[in-house]
Amino acid sequence: MKFTLNWLREYIDTDLEPARIADHLTMLGLEVDACVPCYPDLTGVVVARIETVQPHPNADKLVLCDVNVGQEQKRVVCGAPNARAGLVTALALPGAVLPGGFTIKPAKIRGEESCGMLCSAKELGITEDQIGIMELAADLLPGQPLSLALGLVDTMIEVDLTPNRPDCASVLGIAREVGGVVGKRIKPPVEETPALTGENLPFSVEVESSVDCPRYALRLVKNVKIGPSPWWLQQRLLAVGMRSINNVVDITNFVMLEYGQPLHAFDFNKLAGGRIVARRARVGEKLATLDGVEHQLDSEMLMICDAERPVAVAGIMGGANSEVDAETTDILLESACFSAIGIRRTADKLNMSTEASYRFERGVDPQGVPKAMERAVQLMAALTGGGIVPGGIDYCEGVVAPSPISLRGKRTRALLGMDLTLDQIGAALSGIEIEVEWVDDDTLRVTPPSFRVDLEREIDLIEEVARIVGYNLLPITLPMVPMSFSEQEPLRELRKNLAQTLTALGFYEAINYSFVAPQHCDLLGLAADDLRRQTVHLLNPLAEDQSVLRTTLLPGLLENLRRNLNHQSHDVRLFEIGKVFHPQGSKQPEEPFRLAAVISGRRNPGVPVLHAGETPADIFDVKGIMAQILDSLRLGSAITCQAGVAGQELPFAEPGSVLAIMGGEKILGWSGAFCQKTLKAFGVKQQAFFVDLDLAALGAFAPQAKTFAVLPKFPFVKWDMALIVPEGAAAGEMLSAIHGCGEKLIEQAEIFDVFQGKNIAAGKKSVAISITYRAVDRTLDDETVGKIHQKIIEMMISRFNGQLREA
Amino acid sequence: MPSMHEELLRLKAVAGAELAAISQIGELEPFRVKYLGRKGEFTLVLRQLGQAPPEERPRLGQLANEIKQELESAFAEREAQLAEAGAGAAQPTLDLTLPGRAMPFGKLHPVTQVMDAVCSIFEGLGFAVAEGPDVEVDFYNFEALNIPPHHPARAMHDTFYISDSLLLRTHTSPMQARIMEKEQPPLRMIAPGKVYRCDSDITHTPMFHQVEGFLVDRNISFADLKGVLSVFITRMFAENTPIRFRPSFFPFTEPSAEVDIGCVICGGKGCRVCKQTGWLEILGAGMIDPEVFKKVGYDPEEYSGFAFGLGIERIAMLKYGITDIRLFYENDLRFLSQF
Repeated sequence: MKFTLNWLREYIDTDLEPARIADHLTMLGLEVDACVPCYPDLTGVVVARIETVQPHPNADKLVLCDVNVGQEQKRVVCGAPNARAGLVTALALPGAVLPGGFTIKPAKIRGEESCGMLCSAKELGITEDQIGIMELAADLLPGQPLSLALGLVDTMIEVDLTPNRPDCASVLGIAREVGGVVGKRIKPPVEETPALTGENLPFSVEVESSVDCPRYALRLVKNVKIGPSPWWLQQRLLAVGMRSINNVVDITNFVMLEYGQPLHAFDFNKLAGGRIVARRARVGEKLATLDGVEHQLDSEMLMICDAERPVAVAGIMGGANSEVDAETTDILLESACFSAIGIRRTADKLNMSTEASYRFERGVDPQGVPKAMERAVQLMAALTGGGIVPGGIDYCEGVVAPSPISLRGKRTRALLGMDLTLDQIGAALSGIEIEVEWVDDDTLRVTPPSFRVDLEREIDLIEEVARIVGYNLLPITLPMVPMSFSEQEPLRELRKNLAQTLTALGFYEAINYSFVAPQHCDLLGLAADDLRRQTVHLLNPLAEDQSVLRTTLLPGLLENLRRNLNHQSHDVRLFEIGKVFHPQGSKQPEEPFRLAAVISGRRNPGVPVLHAGETPADIFDVKGIMAQILDSLRLGSAITCQAGVAGQELPFAEPGSVLAIMGGEKILGWSGAFCQKTLKAFGVKQQAFFVDLDLAALGAFAPQAKTFAVLPKFPFVKWDMALIVPEGAAAGEMLSAIHGCGEKLIEQAEIFDVFQGKNIAAGKKSVAISITYRAVDRTLDDETVGKIHQKIIEMMISRFNGQLREA
Repeated sequence: MPSMHEELLRLKAVAGAELAAISQIGELEPFRVKYLGRKGEFTLVLRQLGQAPPEERPRLGQLANEIKQELESAFAEREAQLAEAGAGAAQPTLDLTLPGRAMPFGKLHPVTQVMDAVCSIFEGLGFAVAEGPDVEVDFYNFEALNIPPHHPARAMHDTFYISDSLLLRTHTSPMQARIMEKEQPPLRMIAPGKVYRCDSDITHTPMFHQVEGFLVDRNISFADLKGVLSVFITRMFAENTPIRFRPSFFPFTEPSAEVDIGCVICGGKGCRVCKQTGWLEILGAGMIDPEVFKKVGYDPEEYSGFAFGLGIERIAMLKYGITDIRLFYENDLRFLSQF
């Protein structure tokens, strides 16, 4: 809602500065979005009367004007077609700065002196669409500053209205709130409305339902002359960003802004049968509205019809068939009140939103109907030369008087936490024209005024009291509540711990949108029956590439990877912990949490190349990270990483690179290398690796309890062996064989070298293993260890078809 | 073969001379190993003590120890001298301006960092955390919160729909209704999570993060709302942050409030970020509307409470001076590494 300070001051007597008014309104819940001067600074622009006009000796299209600026006369060169003797217009004197930043200087134009510039309204930033220099009223005093002469000193204030305050979608409503602040009542432009009789009128009204249309008034103004509005009216509308159309339309708009009551002017002579019917549309009916759009109507929509056809969509927009135009002489003016829900539904269906529908959807004051009508017909009589036909119709069967509400002092004090007397409470309400009477020493009976459609319950009144008292004057306390311990949700804890672990491993956290492109499944190469292809679709996505809910986190991370590579960040470690969505028919989808990570670029991102070199990360980096993640969860041997799990090749992974994370028989996730095809599909130009874990499934495994093991008192000894085995022998199995051989003195076995090449026969490899031996009760001697070590070498040779490598 | 006595004196002389000749700190350790170590020359001599005639052993033992102690103290002295000299001298061999060899580490997303900070303040005040579904049913997102179909407040929520009855939640407020429906007061909960609205520009992304919170008990007042949120703001921003509460409208609270803090960019003088007002809106709040209580079966005469909701991205943008909200979802390392 926009209005100007001058406009506001027509209804409320206040000399508060605009900024103060804006501040008060904001603190009353009418948040001010803008508070700006309506007009540019026009210092140095004055009213001037052109006395004489002569041709320019050196230019056909220019003239020389002698203009009167009060005390003196000035010579100005002008090129406007409407420059003529006697015209009162605007002159920018040397030194004036026009809104575009152009400074006026004395100049010679084609050899002739010019002491300033005669200006158009557009050049002065007053209006957009005028041709030629300004044409001002002949009685303006030459030499007077233009802004003073035209009232071009004003402030536009824009309020961001909340949906509960349609009463403030009017300048009078805003003025009433300001009145509460300054302790004054508003002066509405119309005090009394005449009683209307419906006799001897050339039209009649029928309202089908008082629910759809509680109030409907019509009056006739004859013999109007359609033309431009006077400057003051144009100025009001322009200042709040509304175009001036013609005097009749401008009046309906002006009164709507003034009273918050939308009005509609029909061309009476375009209506058939002298009959207006407010009824639901019939099946098959159509109407072209003023904006030129033809609408298909249905029986949910309330129409205003003449004897034959719809002529307006009630409360939203008039029809082109009854539009006021330059030839119009007789105006049938409508002022009405429609069902808020009905208007909202119709506006939704027709996808229309107008100043009128905005107000009706939120609720207009039923008692404002005759006032706005009276104001509008008076203005029409005054500004269009029309004659008001006496009488009129005012159907008001649907108007319900607001019910009184009991307001308890005790309840008010308890909810606001402030000691307020009933006097203070009553005074707060009556300051904004809310009527109160005392019922007993702690109860008020409050009758909400008709314009406050939002006040229906005691709590609504308590809010009003708080609002008027001022939220910032209410006390600040901390609640007295029983102590309690809030349980932590285990899955949330798991997510937090994993995030910490991953950051410690060098990963940055990514957050991607939950909605993705449907093509992601194709880009990953998922099989036709892959469950991840079953997605939840949005009915109204912002874009096709945000139209389904994700079923995997990997595509988002791949896109992040591409973006980073494109921006020359080549060492990328990103992870995301978030929900994926699996549809469950018409029910809410399943929303399990997953963790995914991508690794690409150098093995040691962030470590200077000087120290760490440029070695790229490989599959063992991912495997190690996976192991560390699992280790941090303390799940022990319940979870294992297994290569080559049957039947679970991933279409987006390099064959043979995949490790399955298994919890018993269940697959909890994967790690591996993306295949070239997938990388290409996502535009990623370097090798990349992934981790993808189902957190809900992982969360089902309980972490092991932390238990203490006594620290060993005796030293360990390390003995090495190097075995030559067939190259297909799995190193992991060799370690398992050692760990599983039952020898109690073995503490640990570790592979420290795998070698193929020089001195090793083709098809063979050398595996060097270091075994740590320790006894809990003594220092081991060489003889004991030597015997065991020899036994293990023999076991390994026979089991892995190997031989001892000679040093 | 020289007598052991002679051998000891010879060692003393040789070692003494060698020690005196040492000029580099690095030569000290080989010297120590050669003479004083476990396998050093003195040790070897002392091992031979057993072969000396028994009557000489005490004298020789004493002599050997004296010499060894003398040498040890001379060694310590030399070490100290060299260390002192070395400290003063330049050490051209070690260029400490070369970068260090740190372990790589990553960082949490700024949204997560701010979310964690917000949650931990409320958890410190005894609020429990609950999370709900992102895909919400119309009833909890709207109707349970006193927003019936066709209510004008629905226009404030640009909703992504999945079906007639399912949608992406437009706020985390549905958790109020879900929790109150299941549990009895007293309640103190926060509900962090993702929310969605079809809107996308420099200040809006179609997905963002909110924390909803509410407290319900007997005798909870608007003053308590002001108290709790003031504690939050002073913890989240600074102890002396100016705060103001002003009336607003939410269908599920009444009285409703918006809470502003003094502009953190200009300090309240007025700038582009605060639209010259000196204030920044950071959260919405209010006393839970009696209609919401009725829908979950609480008696609004018995219980009262307040609810609040805040946008995490907005707070992160204000705290870190981020000017474009879309950066949060590009996951550019140059952005993520800044926080």
